[in-house]
Amino acid sequence: MPQTTIYVAPRLAGTPPAVATTDLARLFGRSAALAGVSISVEMGRTIALLGPNGAGKTTLLRIIATSIRPSFGTLAVDGIDALRLPDLVRGRVAYLSHATGHYDDLTARENLHFAAQLRGWGPSEAVAVAHDALDEVGLAPVAGDRVRTFSAGMRKRLSLARLLVARPSLLLLDEPHAALDEDGMALVDRLLGRWHAAGITVLVASHQAERVTSVADGALRLDGGLVVEVSGSGVRADLPTSWRAPLPVASGLDR
Amino acid sequence: MSQLARHATVALAIARKDALSELRGRQASGSTLFFAALVLLLFGFALGPDSQRLSEAAPGLLWLAIVFGGLLTVARLHQLEAEDGAFEQLALYPVDRRAIFAGKALAASTAMLVLGGLLLPVVAILYALPIGAAWLALIATVVLGAIGFAAVGTAYAALTVRMRAREVMLPLLMLPIVAPLLLAAVKATAAALTGDPFGELGSWLQLLAGFDVVMLVVGAGTYGFLLEE
Repeated sequence: MPQTTIYVAPRLAGTPPAVATTDLARLFGRSAALAGVSISVEMGRTIALLGPNGAGKTTLLRIIATSIRPSFGTLAVDGIDALRLPDLVRGRVAYLSHATGHYDDLTARENLHFAAQLRGWGPSEAVAVAHDALDEVGLAPVAGDRVRTFSAGMRKRLSLARLLVARPSLLLLDEPHAALDEDGMALVDRLLGRWHAAGITVLVASHQAERVTSVADGALRLDGGLVVEVSGSGVRADLPTSWRAPLPVASGLDR
Repeated sequence: MSQLARHATVALAIARKDALSELRGRQASGSTLFFAALVLLLFGFALGPDSQRLSEAAPGLLWLAIVFGGLLTVARLHQLEAEDGAFEQLALYPVDRRAIFAGKALAASTAMLVLGGLLLPVVAILYALPIGAAWLALIATVVLGAIGFAAVGTAYAALTVRMRAREVMLPLLMLPIVAPLLLAAVKATAAALTGDPFGELGSWLQLLAGFDVVMLVVGAGTYGFLLEE
């Protein structure tokens, strides 16, 4: 099976952290999904985000992906102020979310070709990278089928293929193993290993703690919208004892 | 690739994707056309066989049908994005927001032009209109009207697509804004059909063109904010 060429992120001495946040918080109504997270992730590291449902993992990933803006705090990606220059950051980041974001009436090939075009590939290159990515995730035999006919696992594989046509220096993965069979999970593990070897920074939120920690350099455990534990290397975080709440709504912190 | 060429590539890719989805979801586009034709047919029956009365009402009814069909079209083109988080993914691509707006507006205006092109002969037959001599002016009116409506519709559809009551909110927010466009389009259509006895057709077309330019600029400038959650 041919492998999609993975863009190798340059790693230079003295480079800024891949992700740096200060007191990052996000309120939804009166409750805080993220209640003041200060972390710094070194470039090229794979970091696992662990924690129970509602811990704030998805919100943290969505803010870093520039999908939503934080209510408070600062965020820099590769040294770029992501709140002031989100357009610049989007070219460096690829995000695998819970929702697959595919177009049901397009085929798998058309979906991926569309993604490749919007990622800046030229017309002929877009066809080639889409083909290789579909092959890599095992969807080549159904490349001409409409996504409407796909199972949840096939949709997830197509989402993984979409990551392969991006050329990010930072990958944000939200439950990449969810909805996949054992082969699919092995595919995710293999891709995580390749991204790590290619020097791409990966933040991966997962309930499959053993799977992701086996490939991760470090881990952050979140609970109640706060980082409660840091382990391994490549990541630093301020734990709640040293954190001063910027939030006006303390009652929301139990979420 | 120059910046402009890149924007054009992105806009065309988005318009193509929307057109493919629209064509493959034939039930939706078929029902829009059927609904618009039904409006014309029912008003034709309601107004009776008086040909003078029918021809006077025809410009307004044509645009009423186009507006109803257009509202369904722009709402549906954004509804495609709302399915399974596609809108969030679209917003995360490293592309200029104006290019996304241009692509969505291009798809919407093309769909409306097809609708207008199909409805014109229907109006001509049902309302016994002599469109032979006025075809060029009528096409110009439909083209300018469709572009302006699509520009406003694309911006407001992005604003309302995440709302629960989006089907209600879209026409409620949009129709007051497109009122000048509809007025100019109806007047231009009437002038074209009557042979432009007062020489007002040019002025109405200019108003339509001016409206289009303003709405395209405003839509392109604000679309980035509308994409953000």
